[in-house]
Amino acid sequence: MTPNLSGLTAAAGVGYRQYKRGTAPAPERGVLVRAIVDACEDAGFDPADVDGFVSYGDDKNEPVRLMPDLGTKAINWSAQVWGGGGGGIAGAFGIAASAILTGQARAVVVFRALVEGNSGRLSAAVMAHHLNDHMVSSGILAPAQVCAMRAQRMFEYHGVPYELCEELVRASYYHGSRNPDAVAYGKDFDHDEYSGSRIIAEPFHLFDCSRENDGAGAILLVSTEMARDLKKKPVKLLSVAQGTEAGYGDLLENDATELYPTAGFRAIRDRLYGTAGLTPADIDVVQLYENFSAQGIASLIDHGFCTYENVAEVVRFENLIAPSGKLPVNTSGGNLAHGFVHGFVTAVEAVRCLRGESPNPVPNARTCLLAGGPGAPTISSAIFGVD
Amino acid sequence: MTYHSATGPVGAEGRYWDALLEGRLELPRCTGCGRWHWPAVWRCGSCGSWDHEWTQQPLEGEVFTYTRTHHPFGGTEAFAKPFSTLIVTLNSVPVRLVGVLEGDEAGLRIGAPVTGTIARTAFGDAQIPALRWSLS
Repeated sequence: MTPNLSGLTAAAGVGYRQYKRGTAPAPERGVLVRAIVDACEDAGFDPADVDGFVSYGDDKNEPVRLMPDLGTKAINWSAQVWGGGGGGIAGAFGIAASAILTGQARAVVVFRALVEGNSGRLSAAVMAHHLNDHMVSSGILAPAQVCAMRAQRMFEYHGVPYELCEELVRASYYHGSRNPDAVAYGKDFDHDEYSGSRIIAEPFHLFDCSRENDGAGAILLVSTEMARDLKKKPVKLLSVAQGTEAGYGDLLENDATELYPTAGFRAIRDRLYGTAGLTPADIDVVQLYENFSAQGIASLIDHGFCTYENVAEVVRFENLIAPSGKLPVNTSGGNLAHGFVHGFVTAVEAVRCLRGESPNPVPNARTCLLAGGPGAPTISSAIFGVD
Repeated sequence: MTYHSATGPVGAEGRYWDALLEGRLELPRCTGCGRWHWPAVWRCGSCGSWDHEWTQQPLEGEVFTYTRTHHPFGGTEAFAKPFSTLIVTLNSVPVRLVGVLEGDEAGLRIGAPVTGTIARTAFGDAQIPALRWSLS
């Protein structure tokens, strides 16, 4: 029988520090150490006993350099998911779980840190990972432009209404406006401000784009058995899948015609739900990595919540907000309205919402889909759950 | 191979850039199974052949998708804002190529026919051979 990781590991602690871009109170490693210690304190776990570290997206903080600050006794595992974008965020939990379940590590921190003064602009770093002479000679220098071209195809050719972007953005801002930690806290969403915001790359206006913050996030993953002895309710990793299918990826925009406008998750959808023994209808809340609004919609389609044909019935403001909507999305505000530290806030909120710690609680939520960075060549998603 | 990339390794594309410098579009086809490969490959993942034949192609196609860039992203200084970048499906072979739209933009839509020319794009100190498209 093939081993199944479902439910055997659990998030035991969460730490997240976010600042306005360019204003972090410490250099990147200092902010990261703070977030890791936060996660350990949240769990009631000694940071010195963390023996594994996993990241994604070309993070620059090699775990060995964290050892003096954390008092680390030994590193037994360190790894990173390939790829320059946020596609690896959920897959990082899969790597951590694999280490724990094979006895190679006992307590693994999944982390991501980004402080502009140290790592520069994320958009530039992601692009540096992908740049080539074809693109730069055609004026393509930013992820927004590549995602815009894919979005244009989804709207113009596949008939997804562009107006749905505003529904998703408005839901994120609704949640963010009610979250004291969010960049959008206390700010009402304004249609005129949204539609009147400057155009970045058509079809994207400014409010369709995630805007970078300084910060760091850390989530402590341990065996579910160990998590039961720690401070907080274990949030179990029910499933995780990462990958890429043939005809999609880093192909100079030569992806298979049908895959081009997708967010890439068709490659993992069946594995993701299959491992957990769940279907899209079983998902109570979604933390949706939206680097750009249209890619968030493409991700919801890929993950089986809707199709090109019925997307307008699902991606509606009322349907996307907690507690009343059937598919609450980004209950802390997500990348757009909570803040953007390479998407880590979506993973943080996946754990918090299942603990009942969300600023916009979803009553009785038992399952949460973490939909990872969309449109990245290598993508990943995870499902978390509580008893 | 004479072309030196401005951004990274040339990979299996050296012939593409050298031909572009000489004013021609050339693309590679597997001599084992006839499959067109773009991006260029060293080995055909379909049939295992290591041999590819590069042949000249006309710069004619149709718009697969596009974006009109308004924000002055660093590195786009060569183009007055806004400017449109097209992904074009070639008529002659199943390959898409990227390039900036020149001239009249009225009628820009997915499926619109375009023709291309070879120009240079200033990027830092480099002059990168580049495609420009015009709506037919």
